[in-house]
Amino acid sequence: MSNAIAEPQVIDLSLGELDLVDEIKELGGEELLECIQCAKCAAVCPMALAGFPFFNKRVIQAILIGSRETLLDDSSIWACQSCNRCTEICPRQVRPFEIILAMRRVAVREFALPTLTTDGLKSLFDVGHAVYLKEAGKSRKKVGLPEKPPSTLAHPQALRELQAIMRKTALAELGIIPMGEAEVAGSCEV
Amino acid sequence: MRIGVFICWCGSNIGGVVDVPRVVEAVSALPGVACCSDYKYMCSEPGQEKIRRAIAEHRLDRVVVASCSPRLHENTFRQVLAASGLNPYLLEMANIREHCAWVHQQEPAKATAKAIDLVRRAVAKAGKLEPLHSAAIPVTRRALVVGGGVAGMQAALDIAEAGYQVVLVEKEPSIGGKMAMLDKTFPTLDCAACIITPRMAAVARHPAIKLLTHAEVTAINGYVGNFKITVRQKARSVDYDKCTGCGICQEKCPCTVNSEYDQGLGTRKAIYVSFPQAVPNKPVIDRAHCRRFTRGKCGVCQQVCPSGAVDYAQEDVLFEEEVGAVVLATGYDLFDWTRAYGEYGYGRYPNVITGLQFERMNNANGPTGGKIRRPSDGGVPENVVFIQCVGSRDEAKGKEYCSRVCCLYTAKQARQVLEKIPGAKVHVFYIDVRCAGKAYEEFYQDAVARGACYIRGRVSKIYPTGDKLMVRGADTLLGRPVEIEAGLVVLATAMVPGAGGAELARLAGVSTGKDGFFQEIHPKLRPVESSTAGIFLAGSCQGPRDIPDTVAHAGAAAVKVCALFARGEIITEPVVARINERLCTGCLACRLVCPYRAVEPKSIPARGGAPERTVAVVNSGLCQGCGACSATCRSGAIDLAGFSNEQLLAEISALCH
Repeated sequence: MSNAIAEPQVIDLSLGELDLVDEIKELGGEELLECIQCAKCAAVCPMALAGFPFFNKRVIQAILIGSRETLLDDSSIWACQSCNRCTEICPRQVRPFEIILAMRRVAVREFALPTLTTDGLKSLFDVGHAVYLKEAGKSRKKVGLPEKPPSTLAHPQALRELQAIMRKTALAELGIIPMGEAEVAGSCEV
Repeated sequence: MRIGVFICWCGSNIGGVVDVPRVVEAVSALPGVACCSDYKYMCSEPGQEKIRRAIAEHRLDRVVVASCSPRLHENTFRQVLAASGLNPYLLEMANIREHCAWVHQQEPAKATAKAIDLVRRAVAKAGKLEPLHSAAIPVTRRALVVGGGVAGMQAALDIAEAGYQVVLVEKEPSIGGKMAMLDKTFPTLDCAACIITPRMAAVARHPAIKLLTHAEVTAINGYVGNFKITVRQKARSVDYDKCTGCGICQEKCPCTVNSEYDQGLGTRKAIYVSFPQAVPNKPVIDRAHCRRFTRGKCGVCQQVCPSGAVDYAQEDVLFEEEVGAVVLATGYDLFDWTRAYGEYGYGRYPNVITGLQFERMNNANGPTGGKIRRPSDGGVPENVVFIQCVGSRDEAKGKEYCSRVCCLYTAKQARQVLEKIPGAKVHVFYIDVRCAGKAYEEFYQDAVARGACYIRGRVSKIYPTGDKLMVRGADTLLGRPVEIEAGLVVLATAMVPGAGGAELARLAGVSTGKDGFFQEIHPKLRPVESSTAGIFLAGSCQGPRDIPDTVAHAGAAAVKVCALFARGEIITEPVVARINERLCTGCLACRLVCPYRAVEPKSIPARGGAPERTVAVVNSGLCQGCGACSATCRSGAIDLAGFSNEQLLAEISALCH
């Protein structure tokens, strides 16, 4: 994903990769072809309200015409808030949210992912939390909670198990984040 | 004179505006009115009973009903009179709904005054009404069907199967029509030829059907039940009694012409059978191209014919057929996009073809033996683009209407490309995909599932780059312009009325709509009847429709014909023009204005031994009672029964007082 590349004015359908449809179906968007572009999903989508050009139904249409680059060159698919309203409302059970997730998987395969995502993944591997605040321990103590929550932070064995699982996912093959065998850091704060 | 007046409230339609009790009060005082009453719904059974009872109680001899338009319920109330023993034409109606309550909704006082005036007028006319009597005209139980496509064949077979004689006239050398050109048909994908060719054979074989191909209807005279049809049998230049259909002539003919059947993608000879399954399967000579006729040379076909059937001297023959009913089934043609669509190249690019050309190409019987090829070089097109609504839904260049069949046949053709060319890309540009029909939406979704890529947007330009074509449009669902390199572009061109439809409409006295399709008399209740009694419509000559709808429509037309024949006679409407021969000067101005060609001149003996003189005579079978002649007549010799000059003057003077 790079904003340095200017968006092409005209989409060349001759370059359309119609096997993108099959890829999305494999990656979780099985009901893609059921979409009739009625835009019921778009009407409930916070991305559409926020002004992102490729909200749910447009992501689907771009996939249908095989325009991979259009979606990879744009940040829209990463703006999905995972509210799942589109999936609830879709009259044809297309599950647009799953299609956006599938498209994210396609993007990750091509390393077209935002840096923030890499940070989150690294944090997940290192401490078992995609999002975790450094100051959390102090705040927790103040309100009378144990400093470390009863998660991977308090149970190093659980973290090791999580890391073992992550090493077996497609993520490990891509090598986006280091997944070394190094001993888990004593302090798990990031 | 004992006139009964019945005023309807029509629920609140009339009663909500017009002060009905006030009208009753005013009308009761009119001279000749024996009784006057009102009711919520006069057309309902209790309302009718009220009239019947009043006729008996008050010994009424004329009835006035003030309600809605006579177009709606005049017949209903005439039946009420008839049931009470009165002549049904002793009824007069006053339209106080459409002409009064509805148009003056905001002015109830004035509406009430106008209602009183209208009823007074009706009462004045009622006083002058005379009993009228219908007549019965015998019906010739034989039908003419014009057009031998799927509609005409269906109508002909249905009528023949009911036991009546049919004359089927087809202008082409073979029956079969457009359907015989198609490959497979949606949504079942059964082959068109497998459906239509057995029907063609059945038509030719049927003992009750007289099949006239390569023939045209040149005149339709007469009226319902008694038409006289003139048919021109065009010269085939081949004696069909001698011809065995061996085909040597077309094999040896040196003159090659573009084939109409293959839509210009293939060729035929100057002496030809349109296609191998043609019915009749015998050739005709195309005199416009045959060298014998254009240059006076050649004569090969005559030399090679083993049965001596080729006859260059054959001439067109005119003959008459008498029938009781006519079914028009003249079908459709395709909108000529090459004259209108400059942005698609005006037909300059050989790889831009119509859907019907694609059908020929895709057909095992066709010029490429069923292989989808680029017409320019015979190569396999890897990218095929379909464009829907070419001429349809395009007021600027084509027609306002939707042609109804293109969405489905495009989906079918898209599927066929994907099946026949592995790895091909198919893009369909559309505005809407309209799939209103049984199993149609499912068929379209199936095309999408098989890989047809639908782009919502109209193509704005096709231009050449090297040996390929670039197609430029927009994906309106994505909000972005798109472009694609195409090997073959298929246009779904609009359906327009079949050639010769306008001339036939003139011959038959049938009205056409603004797009030239024959006009049905009522879009919902009388969809197969034309504006002329006894002339029925079948299939796409009345409007674009697909094969299942065409067959249903043709079947309905056949049933109407059979119903007419089963009765055996027609009860004529007595509201026709009558000529007072003593006053008629024989100027025949009435003949010029009659839209139904009902007026003829006639000679009668003059008084006092003078030579014969001419007067007009009205054919009551043709007269529709429009009154144009009566209004035109300078000597006041024509009266329209039920609208005589005396009756009209009584109405006018009632309104003026």
